[in-house]
Amino acid sequence: MTSSGRTIVACLLGFSSATAAAYASHGGATVRPPMPAAQQATFNRDIAPILFRYCALCHRPGEAGPFPLLTYADAKARARQIAALTSKRFMPPWLPVPQELRFADELRLSDEQIALIQEWVEQGAVEGAPADLPRAPQFVPGWQLGRPDEIIEAEKPYTLPASGSDMYWNFIFRTPVDRTHWLKAIEIRPGDKRVVHHANILVDRNQSARRLEAEPRAGFPGMELKIESEAFDPDSHFLFWKPGTVPKPEPEGMSLRLDKDTDLVLNIHLQPSGKPEKILPNLGLYFTDQPATHFPLLLQLESDKQLDIPPGEKRFLVTDEFTLPVDVDLLAIYPHAHYLGKDLQALATLPDGSAKTLIHIPQWNLNWQAVYRYADPVPLPKGTTISMRYIYDNSSENLANPNDPPRRVVAGNRSSDEMAHLWLQVLPHVSSNADFDPRMLLQETMARHNLEKNPADFAAHYNLAAMLQARGAQSEAIQNFELAVRLRPQDATANNALGASLLAAGRIGEAIPYLNAALRAQPDNFDAHYNLASALASQDKFLEAIEHYRAAIRLHPDDANAEANLGSALAEAGKLSEAKLHFQRALRIDPNHKLARENLEQINRDPKNLQQ
Amino acid sequence: MRRRSLTLRQLLSFLLSIVAAAPLLLALPSSPAAQKTALHLDGTPADPFLAALGKPVVLIFVRTDCPISNRYAPLIQRIGSKYGAKVALWLVYPSRTSTAEKIRRHERDYGYKLSAVLDPQHALVTQAQVQVTPEAAVFDANHHLFYHGRIDDLYQDFGHARLAATTHELDDAIRAALSGKTPPPNTPGVGCFIADAE
Repeated sequence: MTSSGRTIVACLLGFSSATAAAYASHGGATVRPPMPAAQQATFNRDIAPILFRYCALCHRPGEAGPFPLLTYADAKARARQIAALTSKRFMPPWLPVPQELRFADELRLSDEQIALIQEWVEQGAVEGAPADLPRAPQFVPGWQLGRPDEIIEAEKPYTLPASGSDMYWNFIFRTPVDRTHWLKAIEIRPGDKRVVHHANILVDRNQSARRLEAEPRAGFPGMELKIESEAFDPDSHFLFWKPGTVPKPEPEGMSLRLDKDTDLVLNIHLQPSGKPEKILPNLGLYFTDQPATHFPLLLQLESDKQLDIPPGEKRFLVTDEFTLPVDVDLLAIYPHAHYLGKDLQALATLPDGSAKTLIHIPQWNLNWQAVYRYADPVPLPKGTTISMRYIYDNSSENLANPNDPPRRVVAGNRSSDEMAHLWLQVLPHVSSNADFDPRMLLQETMARHNLEKNPADFAAHYNLAAMLQARGAQSEAIQNFELAVRLRPQDATANNALGASLLAAGRIGEAIPYLNAALRAQPDNFDAHYNLASALASQDKFLEAIEHYRAAIRLHPDDANAEANLGSALAEAGKLSEAKLHFQRALRIDPNHKLARENLEQINRDPKNLQQ
Repeated sequence: MRRRSLTLRQLLSFLLSIVAAAPLLLALPSSPAAQKTALHLDGTPADPFLAALGKPVVLIFVRTDCPISNRYAPLIQRIGSKYGAKVALWLVYPSRTSTAEKIRRHERDYGYKLSAVLDPQHALVTQAQVQVTPEAAVFDANHHLFYHGRIDDLYQDFGHARLAATTHELDDAIRAALSGKTPPPNTPGVGCFIADAE
């Protein structure tokens, strides 16, 4: 089937929509005479293999495609549509251009496949010999990985209006686990797949997103989320859904930690369909008894601060560069910009001077953003410089430009603002004799890199401080926490962290005002109550300490440390029978709690203690 | 009774051919188009022009399973409500396979309260010179084709929708037809190819 005719068809690629419509409406009446029957393209032999491999994943009942493409009748009834959409490479949706480093599950048609489809349609879209038809693809119905161990459904549906522009909605899933579990997979069922463009799970260990709900459990709008997290979060997995996603278990050793009281926030991008749509997503959790042994990390390059794009500017370039302080394997990549993004590229320059394209998307389209996993891990040695080059088009020629006429655009979280982000999932190489955790060095280096770009970067100060604290560089940690608090004096997390850091350094008097500030900003902050109680107890202010331990326990009734400390404070205040009760509670929560056991034994040894 | 009914039927088809003749001849000079006809959902022949003597006729072509035409449903309904009885506005389903039940369900689901006809032989498609759903055709009070093409510029291409439309060709064309002004230029729409729905 390598006829000379195919070359002619290939030359027609990329015509404008007006031309395409005219071309399609005239159907078979094209310039070329029909080919001899022997060379005629047929559905069964030539087209079915393409549709089965590249289209049927979404174009089947219950999936995102608006119509099925499983049979000759399906394809015949859409023949011109298929020809036009594939020739423009709008379908199947696959943004990166081919490169040396291959991605898993690539959905890119070759020029020859596209030409073959054109040829088939021009020749009358014939069915062909039944013997040529390959076996139709088999799909697993329902949950793709079998029955999940837990299914969590959104508590309230979101009703997408019939019309309007794209909508971004967030559902908070309260996880049903009563202790730490390890997950080998999460399957995202985002609701009606025909209106959901993509969905992303963020792990919210501090339940911080709940504060964004106007009404509890109702979810909240918003395109970009900032989730507070522990600065050193070892579970850095992409949890992403797009049409056609088949969930896969995480690689061996890379299970995902799910703690009690962790929320999973599902951020979904919806497009109105013309009628109101009720969106009720659910998640399937698959547990494993294998804790993680390999800990990937998400690195973020970004150049949001450079984003100040004048109206009419067609090629506005922003860049960022980061040099790896350790050897890593690159597992996956996720470029992200909004509607003005045009040409998104990431490169790796290795220490030997060789360069590799990590991804290149010459025609960015936010609607088809995706996480791209490499077919094989990409080893990047220490000293490799990763660079991102994003070009933005803020002219009226950019069809996706949200502003008419174009106006100045800067970085921000709304869809009419812009972003320049590149996320990389890397697995640092761990050598057996290393006396440091390569993930912490990566995090620290990343935080310092961010501070070079922007000395007023709150998160970078906070994260750097947390890394420093973890490796015992206490005074530099305190300095960076102080800078974070100076940037956001009302931030509960930063005030609490500074207070805790001062507390750890024995600077109790200095710690207390920050812990109080954390509670003024967020009265239900468990950590701040707990830390303040501990600070007050260190100053022998037991009655005040008791109040804050009680408040902490009201927030987390099954925290063994809070119960044990409350017991200790009550004992110090002379309330021994009540103290005993709380030691017992601590031991019910954690039968191995050493402090609770020892204190309880001490009270029990001396019965006089119980006589008041 | 039988005799009177036959007379009426003849009269109807006579009127139909008068009304439809000019644009049909323009579109397809050698085609015996008068034999093709659109159908009401109950299967009887439909002529959107017949009951609209002296009034502009607006035909909006949609498909039950075309995501782009479905996305336009609220706007199409708003335009229908806005002009009410000043124009004869019809939804046209250019489908050979859609059943009346499927179309009634589609109208219900998408909140359409407009009259709908089936156009399985593409008689109205030819007359209106449309190529994709959604496209519209406006015929002036004399029932000459006045505008045909996109509803607005929301879609620039497949997968390239603006956040909001900046031109409103269908609305402009109806207003122009009612006030005797010049119609906007015919501009092709982006959507699902009607020729596929054979």
